[in-house]
Amino acid sequence: MSDLALEVSGLSKQFREHTAVEDLTFVARRGDVLGLLGPNGAGKTTTIRLLTTVLSPTSGTFEVDGVPASRPDRIRRRVGVLAESAGYPRSHTGEEYLRYHARLFGLTRADADASARRLLGEVGLADRASSRIASYSRGMRQRLGIARALVNDPAVVFLDEPTLGLDPAGQRQMLAMVADIAHRRQATVVFSSHALAEVEEVCSSLLILERGRTIASGTVDEVIRAVSLPPSARLQVSSSDVAEALRALRREGSEDGMSGVIATVLSPAQGSIRLSTRMPPDGPRAAQLLLTQALETLVVAQIPVLSFEIEGTRLSDAFLAMTGDTP
Amino acid sequence: MTSGEAVRVHPGAADVVELRAGGWPVVAAQECRDLWLGGRAPMLLFAYSLLLSAMTYLAATNQVLNFLERREALNLVLQVAVAVGSLLTLVVAADGVSGERERGTLESLLLTPVSRRGLLVGKLLGALSVWGACYVVLVPYLLVLGRGLSMTGTAIGLGLSVGTLLALGLATLGLLISSLCNTNRVSLAGSLFLLLALFVPSQLPMGPNPGWFFDVVLVRANPVASSLHYLSQVLVQGHTWTQDIGYLVGPAVVAAVAIGVLLTIADRLMGLQAGVEGR
Repeated sequence: MSDLALEVSGLSKQFREHTAVEDLTFVARRGDVLGLLGPNGAGKTTTIRLLTTVLSPTSGTFEVDGVPASRPDRIRRRVGVLAESAGYPRSHTGEEYLRYHARLFGLTRADADASARRLLGEVGLADRASSRIASYSRGMRQRLGIARALVNDPAVVFLDEPTLGLDPAGQRQMLAMVADIAHRRQATVVFSSHALAEVEEVCSSLLILERGRTIASGTVDEVIRAVSLPPSARLQVSSSDVAEALRALRREGSEDGMSGVIATVLSPAQGSIRLSTRMPPDGPRAAQLLLTQALETLVVAQIPVLSFEIEGTRLSDAFLAMTGDTP
Repeated sequence: MTSGEAVRVHPGAADVVELRAGGWPVVAAQECRDLWLGGRAPMLLFAYSLLLSAMTYLAATNQVLNFLERREALNLVLQVAVAVGSLLTLVVAADGVSGERERGTLESLLLTPVSRRGLLVGKLLGALSVWGACYVVLVPYLLVLGRGLSMTGTAIGLGLSVGTLLALGLATLGLLISSLCNTNRVSLAGSLFLLLALFVPSQLPMGPNPGWFFDVVLVRANPVASSLHYLSQVLVQGHTWTQDIGYLVGPAVVAAVAIGVLLTIADRLMGLQAGVEGR
């Protein structure tokens, strides 16, 4: 059996004059967590709907777990989906809801019962199995949606904005579930999100879309490296230390500061200073080192640093640069 | 998730869950459960029973006062029962797809291996369960009102055949309208308007020699008017059930065409659009 769980080639979808997805080509391996990123309207949800056979492509082909697009019913047996705008029948209990969906996948009554109870336990809803969904919180509904996506033991799980509207604890829980699906079940997860820190944390590879086209793909490191932004840093000192901090930084090197580092005060009242670099010929690592040395300079000058953060090396910086905005 | 539990390994596991009979029985059973245990259908049936009780009481009273012949009373109650029973079926069917769309539950149904045709058939059967219950409620009223009349059995048989044909056609039309609408409100308004447009001609007086327009366009081509006219021809005029069978061609054609369209374009009817717009 092939190691590829998802093979997409030249996939396009046209809605009258509007092209939602254009010439999409990528692969995902078993156990991969593929992050699907892009600004609103980039085509993420349409891509998921195409790959889950809810929509038919205008052109292009794909295979899910070795099943070609020409067999949509067979593909639907191999995918699990948590849709972005998933609704739930408010009058059903969690157990009834899962049992119904298990039956729709062809499980016998007894198997559907057992499957519903097992999945509710796995997503931590066993004690609310008999409660109506109307009484569930947003986080509980998302967990129920995950359980529903797993009801057919899928090879590929599509999660469209699974952490949207969840509190931080709920987000952590959801990310743990995503990792669990990929590692314990060995399922491929396609994870669409706007929360780039989350994507950076759980995804093994990325696909960034803009206006329906792929603008970047690869591992997180490959995508960040592809943009090659000159690193910068943002540091904060007490407002009374701003002048002294600037003096210390500028003492260190040439007239514009340390060699290659330019210090700019962003907000004297807040003590916020931006350190920027020109990309040195020996790459971003050398630039990051320069910025870290600036921090050392302040420590040596006995100026307390309240916060220090290197920018330009995160996924969010690369994403914003690629999609037209500056970080 | 709790760790350490046995988890099925997916490749091939999904193959064992082949759907028997296309999945529509599961959908139909769930639709019936939602309708009947959710409380919506019992409420409608209760209102229907109250209406039939009032109609039967008034018809029986008029009968005693000699204003209405017994077979006319039987016909009146049967016509009201068939018309209102079909209306309730239409109302329930009108929620079928637009309701799922409005609640955001349609996509999860489309993601199952059940075909869109299977989903629609299941929903249609669920809606028809309302007509089935209406008919069961109707039978005792007909038996009481037609006590001693030879045509009571005919009325019961006509109620089942003509009522089921009409309910099937209207429920399918309701489901078609529902599939084309994004909200329940629009779907319900459209369905009720359709029923009103079909019902009004049935209330127009029809003389012994109706013109072509009246007979063909307003009655025969109109499933509601022609069904009710057929009932009165058999029960009041005393015609045999085959004599005016031509009046049932309209309802039969409407039901057949509506079902044909529903099943042929099921994929398009149950569609979703790009992510942002929803449908």
